[in-house]
Amino acid sequence: MPSTLGNPLRLGLRQERVISPQTLVIFGASGDLTHRKLIPALFELYLQRRIPSEFGIVGCARRPWNDNEFREKMKVKLFNQISGKEKEWEEFSNYLFYEPVDLQQSDHLVRLSKRLNEIDKTQATHGNRTFYLSVSPNFYASGCKALKAAGLLDDPKKSRLVIEKPFGRDYSSAKKLNKIVQSCAEESQIYRIDHYLGKETVQNILVLRFANTIFEPIWNRNYISSVQITSSETVGVEDRAGYYESSGALRDMLQNHMTQMLAVTAMEPPGKFEPEAIRNEKAKVLQASKLADENEPWNSCIRGQYGEGGNISNRLKGYRQEDGVHCNSTTETYIATKIFVDNWRWQGVPFYLRTGKRLPKRLGEIVLTFKDVPVHLFESTIINPAPNQLILRIQPNEGATFKFEVKSPGSGMKSRPVEMEFSYDESFGEPSDEGYVRLLADAMLSDPTLFTRSDEVEAAWKLYTPLIELMDNTPWKLPIHNYESMTWGPPESDQLLSKDNIFWRRP
Amino acid sequence: MKPQLTLQTPLELPHQEISNYLNKLWISEDVDNSGANTFSLIVWQPAWLEQCLVQKGLIKGPITGNLSLEIIEVAKKFILDEGLPLTTSLNNEELLNLLKGNLSNKDFEDFRGQFFESSISTLNPRRLITLAPTLDKNSDIKTFVSAYCPLSDTQTIQPICGDLVVIRGSSASLTQKGLKIIDELSIDELPSWLWWNGSLDESPEIFEYFMNHGLRLIIDTALGSPNRCLKVLDKLMKSNKAINDLNWVRLKNWRESLAMIFDPPKRRPILDHITDIDIDIAGDHMIQALFLISWISDKLGWSFLKVERDKESTKIEFEKIGGEKISTFINPLPLGNPTIHLGQVIGLRLISKISDLQKNNTCVILGCESVECMRLEAGGMANMELIEKVVPNSFSSSEYDVSKLLRSSRGNTSPLFENAIKIAIQIFNECNN
Repeated sequence: MPSTLGNPLRLGLRQERVISPQTLVIFGASGDLTHRKLIPALFELYLQRRIPSEFGIVGCARRPWNDNEFREKMKVKLFNQISGKEKEWEEFSNYLFYEPVDLQQSDHLVRLSKRLNEIDKTQATHGNRTFYLSVSPNFYASGCKALKAAGLLDDPKKSRLVIEKPFGRDYSSAKKLNKIVQSCAEESQIYRIDHYLGKETVQNILVLRFANTIFEPIWNRNYISSVQITSSETVGVEDRAGYYESSGALRDMLQNHMTQMLAVTAMEPPGKFEPEAIRNEKAKVLQASKLADENEPWNSCIRGQYGEGGNISNRLKGYRQEDGVHCNSTTETYIATKIFVDNWRWQGVPFYLRTGKRLPKRLGEIVLTFKDVPVHLFESTIINPAPNQLILRIQPNEGATFKFEVKSPGSGMKSRPVEMEFSYDESFGEPSDEGYVRLLADAMLSDPTLFTRSDEVEAAWKLYTPLIELMDNTPWKLPIHNYESMTWGPPESDQLLSKDNIFWRRP
Repeated sequence: MKPQLTLQTPLELPHQEISNYLNKLWISEDVDNSGANTFSLIVWQPAWLEQCLVQKGLIKGPITGNLSLEIIEVAKKFILDEGLPLTTSLNNEELLNLLKGNLSNKDFEDFRGQFFESSISTLNPRRLITLAPTLDKNSDIKTFVSAYCPLSDTQTIQPICGDLVVIRGSSASLTQKGLKIIDELSIDELPSWLWWNGSLDESPEIFEYFMNHGLRLIIDTALGSPNRCLKVLDKLMKSNKAINDLNWVRLKNWRESLAMIFDPPKRRPILDHITDIDIDIAGDHMIQALFLISWISDKLGWSFLKVERDKESTKIEFEKIGGEKISTFINPLPLGNPTIHLGQVIGLRLISKISDLQKNNTCVILGCESVECMRLEAGGMANMELIEKVVPNSFSSSEYDVSKLLRSSRGNTSPLFENAIKIAIQIFNECNN
C-alpha cells in the first residue's frame, strides 16, 4: 500500500540538474564541518540520485589516515543519518578517498595532484575538480597559493574553489584576501559560501518578490515603513569559544548571513535570472547601504553579552563563565543595528538587524511593516489598528504570514487583526534540503548564483567598518550591555527602535 | 580555413568529399578552434506538410522545416476547402494525399537543416546533420556543408564552433546513400543524438538503422499510429535502449499539476480511496492518455486487471493491493482545432470515495481550459468536495523540448517513463487481443 505520509505522485517528478563527473576535494576533512555538514550533504545528494556514477570525494587533512580509515570514521560520525540506509552508504562510501595533505608542504600538493590523476582514471572524472577549503580562515590565502602553485587551478573550466566563511576579518583584510584569491583563480572559479543563501526560505524571497505581481509595486518606501531582520539562537557559545572570542556576533552572523538576507530583501529585480544579474543587484544594494548615523555610529548599534540565566533546576552560565572565554571578555554575543539603504526604493526606510545567542527562541525571520492607513475610519478592538505586516519565516516553521485588519464580528464596525498563513509543512509536507546540499550541488554545477562575489563581500565589510573601528579603537563608545540568558537581548536594543516609535517584534 | 562566425551559405559538395572537407576545416593553427566538444545531433526532418503547401503554391517558400503559424492556418483552410472534417489533424494521411495531388515541378529553395532554434544552437552542438527527404521520389542525394559559431551576447569567451551537414534526397536515396554518409561523419568520442522529427510510421528502414546504431533517440509517439509507436517503444525497451519521447515530455504539466494537488499532507488520504478516473483526449490516439494512467497506477501501486474498448471510450480496470477496483476511462473527444500532436490529454477527473454520503467524497478535476472543467463537473460532481485546476495546454515548441532533453538528459530513460511504458504496453497489447 503506498504510504500517504509522502506524496507518491511527487516521487521522481522533480527534475534536478545533473552534476557532471568530477572529484570533490575537501581540505580540512578531519574537521567538524566535514562530518557535520559536507559528507551528510553529499550522502543526501547520493540518495537523491544526483551524484553521477563518475565521481570521487577526496578528503585531505594532516592526519595520516588512509581511504578505509576515512570511510570508517565518516561511517561512525554519520551513524544516525546512515541508520536504515546501510546498503546505500556502502555504495556511497566507494566514492570516498583520503590523502594526507598539509597545505603548507608543496610536496604534499604534488602527491595530491598525482593521486587526483589516478582517481580521474579509475572514476572517469575527466580532470574536473571542485576544491573545498574547509580549513581555518588563516589558511585560506596560503591554501589558494598552494593549489595555484601545484597547477590545480589552471583550467578555469575544470576547477572550482569553494571558500567557507568568514571571508576576512574586516574590509581591508577581505580586500587583501580577495586580491590573493583572485591572483590564484578567476572570479568565475571562486565560490564564497554563505550557507544562509542555501536555505529554501531565503531563495523563496526571490520567488515571492519576482514571481508575483502583487508584492513588487508595494515593496518600497511608499508603502513600507520599516524592515526587521532577526536571527536568534537559544544556544550559547558551546565548544566554539576559541573561534567566537575573536569573532563575536558581528563577524559570525551580522556581516554575512544577516547582510545577505538584507541584500535579498532589498535588491532591485534582476533583468534575467542569471548569476551575474542577481549578484550585480545584491552588490548594488550593499554598496548603497549605510549605518543609520554614520557620523556617530554608536547611535546605530547596540552590543550585548549574555549573562547568567535559567532557573534553579537549570542554571545557565553567563558568557564570561563559559569554558575558553576570558573572564573579562568584551566579545558581543548579541548585536542590533539600524541601517538605511540610500536608493530610490528604500530612502528613509530603517532596516533593523539583530542577532544573538541565548535568546528565547531559535528563529530567523524578516518582517516588513507597512505604513499606517492615512485615516482611521474604524475603531479598533485593540487600542490602534495594527499595521499590516508581511512576516517571512526563514526557520523554523518555514513559511510566511500576512497580518491585516478585518471587521470584528458583531453589530459594530470595529476592526481587528487576523493572519493569513503559508506554511511549507502544510503546503508541501516534506522537509527542505539543508543549505549545504543545495550549495554543494550548485558549486559542482558551476552555478554561482547563491555564492557571494568579491564586491558583495567587500561592500558588506565596508558597511560595518565604522562599528569595527569603534570596537577596536574606542570600545567604550560601543559598550557591551549585559542581558539575562533566554531574554530578547539587552533593554538598550529596544531603545534603538523606540526612538522611532517602533518595537521589536516578539515572535 | 577558419570557420565563419556567422551562419554561412552552405556549400554544396559531392558527398564523397564531405568528410575530407570537414577534417580540413577543423585543422587550424588556432587550437581553440578545433570545434565544440559537445555532441552530434542528427535530425530526421521530412516537413511533408510544408513541402506540399510550398509545392502547391499555397504558401511561399523557402522550405524551412519549422512549423509556422502560416503553415497551420493555410493547412486548416485547405481542410475546409476540401470538405474534410474539421477534426482532421495536420498530419492526417488523407490530407497529405490530397495535397500531394497535382504538385508543380518547380524547384523551391529548401533551407531545411540551416535554421535551428537558438535553444538548440546555444548548446553548441559539434555536428548537426539533417536528413531532409523530398517529395520527389526520384531525386538523388545532394549534400551541403557549413561551419557555424553561435554568437552569445553574454559570453566573452572564444565562440565554440560546430559544423552543419544537410543530406537531401528521396527517402530511397537517403536509405541507400545517406546512411553511409552519416556513418562516415560520426564522431566516435562524442555522444550522438537522433531526433526523429516525423511520424514513426515512415521510413522504417532508416529508423531501424538508427535504432541499432547506439544513438540516443528522441521520438514523438504522438506522430504515427499507436500500434507502431508502442511497437517501437517495446522494441527499444527490450533492447535496453534509452528512450526520450516528446509525447511524455508534454505530459509534464499534467503530472506536475496532479502531484501539486496532493502536496499538502491533509489531502493525501484522498489518494487511498480513488475509485474512478476519466481522461479526455483530443482525437483518437490514446498513447499519451495511456502514459498518464500508467504513471498514476504505477505511483499508487495498482495492478492492471483488464481493458475493454468500445466506440466511445476505452475502459481500463486496475486493482489495489487490498482488492478494491478502480475504473478508468479514456474518452476521445473530437476537437475542431486539432494540433499536430494527436491524442493530447485535455482533461482528467479523479473521484475518491470514502463514504456513501456524496459530500464526504472528493472529485479532482484538471482541465486544459475552464470549458473542459465544466464538462467534467457534470453528473453531480459538485455534490462532492470539488478540487479544480486549469492546466494550460500551451506547449513549447518541439525544438525547445528537444533542447531541454539535450541539456538535462544523460541519455538514459527516465525511471518514471520506463515504468509507465511497461504498463502502457501491457494495456495496449491486452486491448488488441
